[in-house]
Amino acid sequence: MRQDRIGFLFLTPALIAVVIFYLLPVVMTAVFAFTNMSTATGIRGGGYLVTEQTLRDLSGHGLTGATLSQLADAGYEVDTEGLAALAATFGDRLAGHIEAELGGESFATSRELERALRDLRAPELRITRDRKQAASLFQRSVLNIRHDTADALRDELTGAGIPGGDHDMIIEAAYTGWSWTMRNFELLLSLPSTARYALNTLIYVALTLVLFNVGLGLLLAIATFYLPKPSAAVFRAIWFMPRILPPVLYVLMWKWLMWDNGFLASALAPFGVERINWMLHSEYHAWVAIILINGVVGASFGMIIFASAIKAIPQTLLMAAEVDGATRWQQVRYVILPQMRWPILFVTAYQTLSLLASFEYILLSTGGGPGSATEVWAMAAFRTALNNYGGNLQYGMGATFALVLVIIGTVLSLLYLRFFNFQALLAKPRIER
Amino acid sequence: MQKYRGHHVRHWPLIAVLVALSAPLVVMYVYQIIDTVTTTPAGSIIPDGLTLHHWRFLTGPLSDGGPTIWSLAGNTLVFASCTALVVTSVSLTAAYALSRLNMPGRGFFLGGLIVLHAFPTVTLIVAVFLILQYMGLYDTLTGVILVKVAFELPFGIWIMKGFYDSVPWEIEMAGVTDGADRFTVWRLLVLPQVQPGLAALLIFSFLSGWSEFILPLVLAPANAPQVLATYLAGIIADDRFADFSLFKAVSIFYALPVLVIYLIFQKKLMNIYGGGTKG
Amino acid sequence: MTKTLLAATALCSVLAGAATAQTYDIRVWSGGSSAADSYRWEAIEMAADILEREAAIRGEEISINVEYMWEFGGWAEFKQAVTLAAEAGDAPEIVVTSHLDIAPWSQAGYIVPVEDYLDLDAWPLSDVYPNLMDIAAYGGVQWGVPQDAESRPFFFWREHMRAIGYTDEEIDALPEAVLNGEYTLQNVLEDATRAVEMGLVEEGMGFSPRVSNGPDFAQFYQSFGGEFYDAETGKLVLDRAAMTEFYQFFVDAVEAGVTSRTHIGTDWNEWYADVANGNAAMWHGGTWHYGRYIREGNEDFFGTIAFTLIPSGGGETGRANTITHPLVYLVTDQGDDELQGIAAQLVEIATEPRINTLHAIKSAHLAVAESQSIVPLYAQDPWADAATSVLLPHANSQPNHPDYGVYSEAMWSGLESAWTGVQTAEQAVAELEAELVTVLGDQLIVR
Repeated sequence: MRQDRIGFLFLTPALIAVVIFYLLPVVMTAVFAFTNMSTATGIRGGGYLVTEQTLRDLSGHGLTGATLSQLADAGYEVDTEGLAALAATFGDRLAGHIEAELGGESFATSRELERALRDLRAPELRITRDRKQAASLFQRSVLNIRHDTADALRDELTGAGIPGGDHDMIIEAAYTGWSWTMRNFELLLSLPSTARYALNTLIYVALTLVLFNVGLGLLLAIATFYLPKPSAAVFRAIWFMPRILPPVLYVLMWKWLMWDNGFLASALAPFGVERINWMLHSEYHAWVAIILINGVVGASFGMIIFASAIKAIPQTLLMAAEVDGATRWQQVRYVILPQMRWPILFVTAYQTLSLLASFEYILLSTGGGPGSATEVWAMAAFRTALNNYGGNLQYGMGATFALVLVIIGTVLSLLYLRFFNFQALLAKPRIER
Repeated sequence: MQKYRGHHVRHWPLIAVLVALSAPLVVMYVYQIIDTVTTTPAGSIIPDGLTLHHWRFLTGPLSDGGPTIWSLAGNTLVFASCTALVVTSVSLTAAYALSRLNMPGRGFFLGGLIVLHAFPTVTLIVAVFLILQYMGLYDTLTGVILVKVAFELPFGIWIMKGFYDSVPWEIEMAGVTDGADRFTVWRLLVLPQVQPGLAALLIFSFLSGWSEFILPLVLAPANAPQVLATYLAGIIADDRFADFSLFKAVSIFYALPVLVIYLIFQKKLMNIYGGGTKG
Repeated sequence: MTKTLLAATALCSVLAGAATAQTYDIRVWSGGSSAADSYRWEAIEMAADILEREAAIRGEEISINVEYMWEFGGWAEFKQAVTLAAEAGDAPEIVVTSHLDIAPWSQAGYIVPVEDYLDLDAWPLSDVYPNLMDIAAYGGVQWGVPQDAESRPFFFWREHMRAIGYTDEEIDALPEAVLNGEYTLQNVLEDATRAVEMGLVEEGMGFSPRVSNGPDFAQFYQSFGGEFYDAETGKLVLDRAAMTEFYQFFVDAVEAGVTSRTHIGTDWNEWYADVANGNAAMWHGGTWHYGRYIREGNEDFFGTIAFTLIPSGGGETGRANTITHPLVYLVTDQGDDELQGIAAQLVEIATEPRINTLHAIKSAHLAVAESQSIVPLYAQDPWADAATSVLLPHANSQPNHPDYGVYSEAMWSGLESAWTGVQTAEQAVAELEAELVTVLGDQLIVR
């Protein structure tokens, strides 16, 4: 088989997955970002529904009073047309009975007409269902009837005698689905909360990265390098565990440590320290908590990368330093650290992107609190679009948040690719066939 | 290198620093275990009695009409194993193509892979939901597995590519010179060389699947496909369950496979980034 | 909307004539529920049994399978699950949820009006309190049926009040004093401060509010004269002054040391244990917490705790109030008209006084219908009786408006910012206003 054919064959499964679950969602998200999609509008488009609220909105937008009252007051009419339909379904006896008792009357709501029908005590209308069906035959109002298409509503309006000139305005106001808009981007620029999310994200990424993923990771890697093997293994195990423990569980451990009645509060109480919720006592506590929680997980990544990089340092270098009488600190400073330049850059680049998109640990620990003090951009996207107390899911706005992250991530990774000399990654295959 | 360690230097300052840094974690681990078999008076840190009460969930459902821990564990196991198998096999072939095969667009794909890593996958989940729904896979375990696999792929391929990169060309050259085609060479000669990477990726993606929380939460909310992570998060958020000790016992049950895997495979796990750091 | 019934009725009569066993699968998803709320779905199971028996007597054979689910983690997860399932065309047939979901879900077409299937003038629906029925209606359409009622009163620990200097008579007269605006939130602050200063309760425990977002906080906005909805225009209202005073009240409570700055996010279990046992001087909570107090070891609720409406904030506009936030049964636009009809009938039967009372008493909620007060189980329950007469007549609800979710979410995060000291009350209200004006546009009236 030819090499490039095997190549594509080998790549195909991955490509399909990437197209379906990355590229397509990104394109769709980009589309959503230009809509006002929400719970109320639904995702897949809406129907046409004239409600009391539609009428109120229309009255503010120049629909004539005559048409408005025509729409609002149509209600139910016991007219010949309705009676004919009734006769066809329920028979002439009932139609005659109703005509005699209620002929020519009108009712504002179905409920009132149903009451009147009930009072007739007609044997044909004993069952609720039949009464409702009979009442529906006299309906002349277009209110609160959901139509799937604009044309269906237009027919209905025509039938109700609404002037054709008003149709478009009514239909537009009656549409329940989403529409195209640039508002999400305007909101993004003008809302005070978005600036805070951006700042929070910056603080979160920078501090976690510098202090833990790189700083602590380096410290752990170097320290375990100098320790005898068994103790090094113990410390590596301790620090590696958070990375593989399920987040739900890992955060539970932190909560147990930091909550009002948790370990920290209980252990410090005998020393006269006030019992507080160490995770949420103030925004500073919350910040320390989320950076610790994320940082400890991140440190193991740095630790592993740096440890293997230190292992790769030629022994002769270290030996030479030792012979020259260098202290351990000097060895670290002048031999090990200079060799760590690329690994540090790699960890920085890789983890910036991971952190930018991550929020799981924050969601499970502080939940973005207190008062959105620790709410980061990715989490705002998730909560806006999918997860909030009121169940008010704003897909359009959430997509706008997500889109911004996609753009930042893509630009950053392209920059990194340039910076890390991408061609070096692409060692040319040495077999041509 | 071993001989430098311990020369002219005392370990205790270093160990002291590490112990101080690790203390909070160790305290959490230790109490995580102790609390599940003891009772502790409120506001204290010292246990005052032994009990197996916190482990009651092993014999019956946690809540009336709720699922048993075993069915949840079963779901989670299926989810994690399928994720691991598919991620590993897809990465295995794709990474080889990117690492070793001469094909048009190789640089583009490789660059794309790195860009994919930067995608905030979870924030795209509304779109993913729609796609699953059109495929008829919303609210099914299969659907969540597919999405999870896709989200793990950039990482998997990247790791595997690193391992392929470090396989000496001579091995393949020899195979090709003997007249075998590239597929055979890959299968018989190269694959054995990347065994460590394969094992590490398998374990890592299993662990990742075992831990996954948000995807099943959003994409499979109904009873049947529930996994341990979503169920645990649910009962922790629920104010009916009073005790941390119960959560901890459930957590230990949940973490047990992770611990066992770590103990058995720790060398391989530590090697996970072994191939991926060059450049 | 009633016109679709034509086809269904024809279908139904054909089916009835055929007299073959017809199977209906009904799923019930219940939000914000715990095991104590089991009658939210068990009532539907009972209703299914009754409906099957009634059909059998008529000579029809129907079989109704009820499946239920209630463990969703929280409201956020529940609503997300229902919404996405409805988008996927796979929603449960019956949903038990907040009445606030009616506006958005009816616009989205996820639910169908129960009035298309049920006779609202016939028993048992005719017996449901009209104001509760109104809460389950939107835009003049009866979309749902109230499942339970509750309210969110203010509580006092009697012993601490006595220690502060109130006589038993004065404590018993508190509901009256609160109602008349004689005992206000300013008195709350003063008394709570005294309770802390006298060492009756720990610092931060003078006044212990709900620990997470909820309709309870909307009450304090109303205490200062705030209104959420303008009935004339159908628009939401932001009363700047009331909102600022409402935020400021919590800021003052923190500054006086009677409420903890970090109270939000406290573990619910801790909170229950505290308020049930006199670790807090005053607090506010739900009527359904009553059952929990007993489980926390407080055997003598009436002897230890006094309850009132949420006191007025004082001033001319202030008013004592309480919000009822009934859950409602909604029927989703799932399956055909016939299935929806069955679902609606199940909801109707579940609303019958005896069945609903099982829920009311088991979960310490309040009745939805008049005649529940003569159901022995209800009449014998001292709490249900007291809470119904003192609180429900004065209860109002939050508005059914598609954008109220945005409003309430933003109001909460503003309160959180002010409470935790991230912003001053004025700053928080300014940000809230900016946010709401931008997001809601002409759907909002700022006063």
